[in-house]
Amino acid sequence: MAVTVREPARQRVDRLERIWAEPRGVFGWLTTTDHKRIGLLYFFTALAFFGAGGIEALLMRAQLSEPNEKLLSPETYDQLMTMHGVTMIFLFVIPMTTGAFGNYLVPLMIGARDMAFPRMNALSYWLFLASGLFMYYSVFTHAAPNAGWFDYVPLALNQFSPGRNIDFYALGLIFNGIASTATAINLIATTFKLRAPGMSMNRMPLFCFAILAVSLSLIFALPSLTADLVFLELQRNLGFHFFDVANGGDPLLWQHLFWLFGHPEVYIIILPAFGIATSIIPTFARRKMIFPLVALAELLVAFIGFGVWAHRMFATGLPTITLVFFAAASMMVVIPSAIQIFAWTVTVALGRPEFRTPLLFIGGFILLFVIGGLSGIMFAAIPFDQATTDTYFVVAHFHFIIFGAAVFPILGGFYYWFPKITGRLYHEGLGKLSFWLTFLGTALTFFPMHILGLIGMPRRVYTYPSSLGWGPYNLSETVGAFILTAGLLVIFGNLVWSRFRGPPAGPDPWHGGTLEWATTSPPPPYNFPVIPVVTSAYPNWDRDDRRADAGRLERGELVLDEGHETPASTVVDAVPDEVVEMPGESPWPLAVALCTALLFVMLLTRHYAVAGIFAAMTLLAVAAWHSQEPQEQ
Amino acid sequence: MREVRKEIRPNRAVFEPGERGGLRRSLVRAGWIATGAAAALVFPAAAWAGDDQNALHPASKQEHSISVLWWVMLAGCSIGFCVVATLLLLGWVRRNRDSLPFGGGDRAGTAIVVGLGVFVPIVVLSSLFVWSDLFLIRTTEAPAANSTRMSIQVIGHDWWWEVRYPGGRAVTANEIHIPVRTRVDVAGTTADVIHSFWVPELNRKADLIPGRVNHLLLDADRPGEYRGQCAEFCGQQHAHMAMYVFADPPDVFRRWLANEERPARQPATAQAREGQHLFLSLPCSGCHMIRGTSADGTIGPDLTHLATRKTLAALTLPNHPPDLARWIEDPQRYKPGSKMPGFSLTSRERDALVAYLEGLK
Amino acid sequence: MSALPHSGDATTPPAVTRIEHTRLARPNGWWGMAIFVATEATLFGTLIGTYYYLRFNNAHWPPPDVPEPKLTLPLVLTGILVATSLPMQLAVSAAGRGRLVTARVALLVAVVVQAGYLGMQLHLFVHDVHEFPPSRSSYSSIYFTMLGGHHLHVGIGVLLNVWLLLRTATGLTTYRMNALRATAFYWHFVNILALCVVGTQLSPRA
Ligand code: HEA
Ligand code: HEA
Ligand code: HEC
Ligand code: CUA
Ligand SMILES: [Cu+2]
Repeated sequence: MAVTVREPARQRVDRLERIWAEPRGVFGWLTTTDHKRIGLLYFFTALAFFGAGGIEALLMRAQLSEPNEKLLSPETYDQLMTMHGVTMIFLFVIPMTTGAFGNYLVPLMIGARDMAFPRMNALSYWLFLASGLFMYYSVFTHAAPNAGWFDYVPLALNQFSPGRNIDFYALGLIFNGIASTATAINLIATTFKLRAPGMSMNRMPLFCFAILAVSLSLIFALPSLTADLVFLELQRNLGFHFFDVANGGDPLLWQHLFWLFGHPEVYIIILPAFGIATSIIPTFARRKMIFPLVALAELLVAFIGFGVWAHRMFATGLPTITLVFFAAASMMVVIPSAIQIFAWTVTVALGRPEFRTPLLFIGGFILLFVIGGLSGIMFAAIPFDQATTDTYFVVAHFHFIIFGAAVFPILGGFYYWFPKITGRLYHEGLGKLSFWLTFLGTALTFFPMHILGLIGMPRRVYTYPSSLGWGPYNLSETVGAFILTAGLLVIFGNLVWSRFRGPPAGPDPWHGGTLEWATTSPPPPYNFPVIPVVTSAYPNWDRDDRRADAGRLERGELVLDEGHETPASTVVDAVPDEVVEMPGESPWPLAVALCTALLFVMLLTRHYAVAGIFAAMTLLAVAAWHSQEPQEQ
Repeated sequence: MREVRKEIRPNRAVFEPGERGGLRRSLVRAGWIATGAAAALVFPAAAWAGDDQNALHPASKQEHSISVLWWVMLAGCSIGFCVVATLLLLGWVRRNRDSLPFGGGDRAGTAIVVGLGVFVPIVVLSSLFVWSDLFLIRTTEAPAANSTRMSIQVIGHDWWWEVRYPGGRAVTANEIHIPVRTRVDVAGTTADVIHSFWVPELNRKADLIPGRVNHLLLDADRPGEYRGQCAEFCGQQHAHMAMYVFADPPDVFRRWLANEERPARQPATAQAREGQHLFLSLPCSGCHMIRGTSADGTIGPDLTHLATRKTLAALTLPNHPPDLARWIEDPQRYKPGSKMPGFSLTSRERDALVAYLEGLK
Repeated sequence: MSALPHSGDATTPPAVTRIEHTRLARPNGWWGMAIFVATEATLFGTLIGTYYYLRFNNAHWPPPDVPEPKLTLPLVLTGILVATSLPMQLAVSAAGRGRLVTARVALLVAVVVQAGYLGMQLHLFVHDVHEFPPSRSSYSSIYFTMLGGHHLHVGIGVLLNVWLLLRTATGLTTYRMNALRATAFYWHFVNILALCVVGTQLSPRA
């Protein structure tokens, strides 16, 4: 809202500046509760983990480039493979989508000044960082988890994995799950309660719907993973029996619980990408998305995703009737995806698309998603799944979907919101080049994996003999992985260069339809000088409404410059009903995260008494935090 | 509305500075060359790849239906892909056209989305479901109890396969013989972690899970050797847990089985006798069984007829005297992490052991 | 719209009452707790699901060397715990009407009963651990995990109530009011959970 403001308005804005200012320097970052700063922290941390996961992938690809290659020992390979999967999923995609994109954009898109629970938001970040460092500590002690990202028992029991490797995995993921749960709670409460006046549920941006669906999925999916991991730790360290047959346990219990989490998980990964696509497409195609249908599809994907888990277990010898049920459910889950695919493509086809870099990435995403989705459907044909499960065909399926479909929109989103976050424009030519490199690299890396799977290459092998003719495919995949990496480096190079040298972007370079484009770039700490009032699903395309906002700033309506405040409204219709005082910066979230981290370290090293002390300290820190009430700050 | 486009226009000049074009073009060309080179590697490869472990070279009814399923689904999916790609292409063709911005939300669009996104998938998927999951699945289902002429037991170990024939008299490892054109039931389980039994040219896979027995049908159409490999990650040497299934003509099979059921041959030469003595006095006998001797270990493979096998250690090495010697001296070099330790032997001892083991026909 | 109440300013019981009256929707804090409870409920759903999964995998449940779960004491204790939902709700409505003393008395009654319950249960728990340790069989493993998980939740609830008692000693603010509401909701959940857990625990007797 870069309006020329007259004196009373200017004073109000100055007051807001003062109220919302946070301490400068490192201390400011350590105690921040500003969702944008926390979003950036998430962004850089998740990016670093992406780099780590990517390097792990490149090392694996190097080892697999030739038959009988001796670059890595099997032990190292297993650790790299496991850490690659765990890192990419838990330390990159989820924090990047919910933590970085969700945190930064959701309050802006719904016209709020912060998340519903700002301090808990900071806590989520510190917990996430600590859990990531906890797990990565294992890499440096050569005891990284090594039983694959789904960590099947009995391989993961101490009888077969006596080291600390699996404990790093189990405790690290429990720890990480706490952080993700906190973020999810925060995002749900924020989308429910803090929407700008007039933004009823059916006017909430589709991106926020996607994030809402993701958060709901996290809420209902993570507990089964947590329970599974707790069982595993109890069995490994305290001699409980959940998974061993001799004492009445069952190894398949692990698989059921893991996949009961694991399938919703993949929609947790893909849904933010859907949300990003539904943000970028209308902007560049100059056409609104079909609204209720797509919102419904986003929620439905998340919902049906809970009913398909056993399609990961088609070869375990479950009764045929069970298999058939889950196959049918897996086919049903296609329909909401198909609705979205056609909603996007029809919008592009009927619109007047302008293929700037973000839209190119979305185009690439659609093509890669369709390929990956269609191979997913093939798995719902049980006999075919039973033939190709645990081969590179599966690796091909999920990289097309996970890298091609989940990460491409993330990359497109980097470009799309870069001007908003930095106030500068990226370099379009380099952007397009980076797209083509990444796109072709992706195809070359992951397409041959389909063929390899069909001609018999199992996944998770650290080497293979030369006699089977797998070498050339593997080599081309390795070449592809490096091309793809080059593309990614061009992206990051472009963004870093543009951060300092790019031309100024102005508040709204793309003429986007959602509210984040209604404020300056980068947004001020209070996001909006005046809380916008919304009358449609694409509020920034309602010129009159935005002009009215400017007028209200003059008059001082909904400026809320008396305190550190944001309005809260009713859940469905977004009728504002109170102005809530938001807590400001606080050192306690960091302190709580620190105590929790020490608690987990003590559990890992089996100092249970000391762990008890840290648990008590965590509780004390939480109490201290909450005795500082927002209005007292 | 007009005013909006004016806001966007000037930006375009800023985004695409013309003088960068040269650099961009050459980088794009470099990308194409690299891609082309790699593609050139891939496609000839298709010609020579894959006679060994290829799920699309069916040698049984079961695998045949799986590969038909694949080709049909591939055709269907190609059509689906083309539909989506066409829509995108349509957008590409119409890119950057001038027209009023911000359309959308109209009925035509919704109708296409509902048609292509709801009705077509329902029809296509129901057909696929009925065909593959209700009918085809019967071909690859586990054989009904006692419906086969023969039942063999396969037990997964870290990292090799134990194979037991009916009556428990014939026990071998990693190389399974079955009579051709005969339905054979494989009853699979495991001694330690989860493994998965998979011979791509013959049938789907079956996981071998503690506490369960999973059944799988082997019914080879034609004689031959079919390579298979463990498909479930089972630890360090998951990569070296392969096996062969030999589908033999009935008389060959009968002869093989009869030999396999006999206890081990007595060593024929002095050197071999020395080897036997060594085998029984070294730790070998604690882990390996040689029927007819006092060696009765069960940790490693049964070696009673080792010399009839083509390979060693789950297809890690060919079964030739020099390789056998290397294996006994340093298994960890070929299969790091294997449960068999290395032994420092004099060359005389080693040769004696090899002579004995190679005599176990 | 400029007349929206500022809940941050409400730091006396009458001011809090005014906010409570004009409120159209439940406060953020309540929603946060409701979503948290949803995830906790799923966690216990998983535990109870695991209990039955293992049960149907075992011919003898509980195994022969484990005594059948006692019936009366757990049922009586659970009944007492569930009854504390009343004083909790009373505390909320009293505080909402500005009657801080009543609210604190109700809270105190609740927390005394809850702490008593927890003490008894922990005593039984320790006794059972000695009789059939969790490392004995899958039955004892899930039995103690499920019960332990529930006792932990009761314990946290007790701490929350103690914290509320301490905080409300210096007066009422909307922040504390919201915390009280959220905590009461948490207790209703824990009490329903208690019924589910005790039902599962006693199910072999059915
Ligand atoms: C982002 C992640 C993501 C997403 C979105 C999906 C989406 C789908 N997945 Fe995938 N999947 C994974 C990630 C993902 N998957 C991972 C990580 C694994 C392996 C884990 C591991 O083992 O390590 C896996 C494994 C996996 C398996 C188990 C394979 C095995 O190990 O044996 C199965 C089986 O059914 C499956 C099915 C599906 C289906 C049916 C969809 C559907 O949602 C796809 C729907 C989309 C489309 C179908 C395309 C668009 C639609 C059209 C173009 C309309 C027209 C189409 C038709 C009419 C058919 N997936
Ligand atoms: C989100 C999930 C995700 C993503 C993005 C990727 C990305 C990639 N994956 Fe991943 N993969 C998995 C999830 C993912 N993978 C999972 C779950 C498994 C299964 C594991 C298991 O079996 O247990 C798997 C397994 C897997 C295998 C099979 C291993 C095996 O079965 O033996 C292979 C083999 O090629 C592979 C390759 C790659 C490659 C080349 C990429 C590339 O796309 C990576 C490219 C990225 C980079 C190269 C990083 C570049 C970034 C930077 C340079 C940023 C720098 C930043 C800073 C410096 C701050 N992956
Ligand atoms: C600690 C147990 C142990 C001892 C001692 C041991 N082995 Fe082994 N052996 C194994 C195991 C386990 C395997 C299977 C290895 C694999 O394939 O991963 C094996 C495999 C073999 C094989 C290949 C068998 C096949 O079917 O492919 C031969 C031959 C062999 N051992 C010979 C010997 C000899 C000779 C000795 C003594 C000098 C010996 N073993 C001592 C455990 C042992
Ligand atoms: Cu056995 Cu993999
Ligand atoms: Cu799935």
